[in-house]
Amino acid sequence: MENILLKDKVVEIEAYFAAGGYKPLKKALGLKPAEVIDEVKKSNLRGRGGAGFPCGLKWSFIPKDAEGPRYLVCNADEGEPGTFKDRELILKNPHALIEGMAIAAYAIGAGHAYIYIRGEFAAEAELLDKSIAAARAKGFIGRNILGSGFNFEIFTHRGAGAYICGEETALLESLEGFKGQPRLKPPFPAVKGLFGCPTVINNVETLAAVPAIISNGGDWYAAIGNGKSAGTKLFCVSGPVNKPGVYELPLGVTFRDLLEKSCGGLKPGKRLKAVIPGGSSTPVLTAEEAWAVKLDYESLAAAGSMLGSGAVIVIDESQCMVKLLQVLAHFYHHESCGQCTPCREGCGWIEKIMNRFEEGRAERKDIDTLYSVAEGMMGRTICPLADAMAMPVMSFVKKFRAEFEAHADGKTCAKAR
Amino acid sequence: MPTLTIDGRPVEVEKGTTLLEAAQKLGVYIPRYCYHPKLSISGNCRMCLVEVEKAPKLVTACSTEAAEGMSVKTTSDKVKAARRDVLEYLLINHPLDCPICDQAGECGLQDYYMEYSLAKSRFGQADKVRRQKRRALGPHLVLDNERCILCTRCVRFCSEVTKTSELDVMGRGDHSHIDLKEGKALDNGYSLNIADICPVGAWTSRDFRFKQRVWFLKKTPTICLGCATGCLVEAHHNENTIYRLVPRPNPETNTWLCDHGRLTYKAVQAGDRLTKGVIKNGLIDFEPALREAAARIDEARGAGAVAVLGSPWLSIEDNAALARLAKDALKTENYCFDFNFEQGIKDGILINKDSAPNANGTKLVKAAHGGLSLEELSRRITSGQIKVLLVEARAAGLIKDAVKAASPKLIVFAANRGEIPAGAYDTLPYASYFETPGTFINYQGLRRRTEPSVEAPEGVKPLWTVVNKLAAYSGTSLRLDSAEDALKGIDLK
Repeated sequence: MENILLKDKVVEIEAYFAAGGYKPLKKALGLKPAEVIDEVKKSNLRGRGGAGFPCGLKWSFIPKDAEGPRYLVCNADEGEPGTFKDRELILKNPHALIEGMAIAAYAIGAGHAYIYIRGEFAAEAELLDKSIAAARAKGFIGRNILGSGFNFEIFTHRGAGAYICGEETALLESLEGFKGQPRLKPPFPAVKGLFGCPTVINNVETLAAVPAIISNGGDWYAAIGNGKSAGTKLFCVSGPVNKPGVYELPLGVTFRDLLEKSCGGLKPGKRLKAVIPGGSSTPVLTAEEAWAVKLDYESLAAAGSMLGSGAVIVIDESQCMVKLLQVLAHFYHHESCGQCTPCREGCGWIEKIMNRFEEGRAERKDIDTLYSVAEGMMGRTICPLADAMAMPVMSFVKKFRAEFEAHADGKTCAKAR
Repeated sequence: MPTLTIDGRPVEVEKGTTLLEAAQKLGVYIPRYCYHPKLSISGNCRMCLVEVEKAPKLVTACSTEAAEGMSVKTTSDKVKAARRDVLEYLLINHPLDCPICDQAGECGLQDYYMEYSLAKSRFGQADKVRRQKRRALGPHLVLDNERCILCTRCVRFCSEVTKTSELDVMGRGDHSHIDLKEGKALDNGYSLNIADICPVGAWTSRDFRFKQRVWFLKKTPTICLGCATGCLVEAHHNENTIYRLVPRPNPETNTWLCDHGRLTYKAVQAGDRLTKGVIKNGLIDFEPALREAAARIDEARGAGAVAVLGSPWLSIEDNAALARLAKDALKTENYCFDFNFEQGIKDGILINKDSAPNANGTKLVKAAHGGLSLEELSRRITSGQIKVLLVEARAAGLIKDAVKAASPKLIVFAANRGEIPAGAYDTLPYASYFETPGTFINYQGLRRRTEPSVEAPEGVKPLWTVVNKLAAYSGTSLRLDSAEDALKGIDLK
């Protein structure tokens, strides 16, 4: 099928417009905000940032009678290791995001929106600024958009390099100028978000899907994909495959099709060992599990993992799972904000245990300690960063225990040395 | 008014009540570090996790509002495991230097470990995160970042109570640490509260540390006499020495205590504490000093040249004894219990515009015994009519111009030598209110008593006793056998 998000030659506003762009905005402005939300609800569009929360439902949580401003925030902080889809989407189709944001803002009654973009995405932020200016020049952003009376402004804000700022409430803190640390919920951002006002935070990919939904109708979008997992998804494939990259495919595509049809299969001589299907924080799948799985919210949940951000990390037999987990442990230890006890102390502890394994100082009992430290972090913190550390640890240990035992017994990494 | 059950027991609470508060209402204690009833909810320590039926995860009791029909478990296996785990995480990088830690004995880590964990460490000693130890911060505190559990109570105290925002958590992850913000100093007048609210040994008081192991301390509830606010405090003492004052939180007056008030106890044990009389500049035993005072009074009273000034720094009992001395023994009308000061909290927290603790108490003495206005007494002193003036040391400051103008002989009651006003002729020591009970009325009109926690130095008596003896020297018995006797005729309401 034709791509909805990743299109070629629509970066310039004229080209985007010629391809039918900004017509959905005009259509949306002719509807009541509640009708726009209904259409998005009907589409079954779910959050593409990782949590998969139904988008229309999220929009409807903005209190109808709330006084004062409301805000729309686009989360473009893309920091989950393995994920590089939002960047590609911004570079290829910036106006889909801008138009999607205008429609979303209209639906929730927001006059201002912010794109919180990862600090390293300098060129992307620049392109967005240019595209926003172009949209403003054409009257798609600004005062009285297309004569509808709707006023709307977008600002970009570059992050300063913290993974935690991809968590929506830490993002809001950072956007307000504070240290990026997740907020205690409730209250949820829909009630008390940016500057204390009702706020919707959506991922880039989520918002960019909105114009097509308004244009073609929610039912059209809901029919794509696999049941409750509707629409297309950007999959970012990394690892020893022939054509790593970002692929837009309907949800429910099999891992096998993604790997073999889109990515041209594994590199010569490589054998699949494991797959992290949704970004580094999602539980790892064994090769056997991966070959059998469909890539959508429900199928991956049933397989004991998550769709996450759609970052498919392919791991072949030459890789050492212990070493990989050490890398992840280092990352999460480094990125823990330090607010809650289990995450602040647990992530560091896990890295230290992983270092023992890698340095040949571990014993078998460290495997159980490792697992239980992770287990103790699960679901006990303000934000899911602790879970993001714990899930790979628990799944790596469960599914590749033999490799940990080999490290403990042989005091060395057989694969790497 | 939602009704919920906690550990199977129903409780009805106001809307907006948190699970932690609802449990408290039932007498169910939920362990906590970052929660403090007078600070914003932070939810970071994760010690108060409880199980709520149908909730997918454990929830923090400090931040979760009670809802109708909720069923909360605070002692389930899941909750116990969470507490054990949180304690294990908190302790892995803790230096475990309890033997040299001043918090030992009143430490949240020690107490909860004994109550909720008792697990053996699974963490290699060599791997601990090291942080800065014992750094003096501000005039009153020492910070040990290695012991810190990052509950942020101190940070929130400085931003929410004193609104001075000196502190913040710097760094990230397990290298987070508390530090001063650039250009700030931790001297906000309330900084010692930080040592109180710190649940561990990270913040300790420079005044108190290493003076006494806390388990030796006896605790006596009393009041602070640092100003008219009259905060409730607890004196911590051992073997006749006071080591510190801490606030006794109460809804009427105070949760906290200012640094000034907290250190008022030091005068009681100070090097200049008077245990003898002073004539001019020479120390003299109490009895001869008393006899000298009586002789000077005797000389002057015939001519109606003796005056007595009460004091808003003295208890109602001691003021009343002074009033009886003037009225019944010296039979003079030259006495004054007229102290009208502007009162009210001046810093938005605790410190009162009126630095004297008992101006309101003296009003009752005036109501019972009458007396001159302060202006009239000043006028009479200035005119030279008054030759001998009995006065409490600090109250002498209220008539200092008159005294300077006419130089009457000052018979002064003082507890510390440093208080004695210039030109004092004869000074008599008296017992402080850490040593003797006294009744005070604070700026809110609340009547409170001091409770003695230590004994007065040998030979030092309560002021009413000194007054009683002076009366006896002048030939009249005031029949004061106890402090209460002095209160006769005074309507305490």
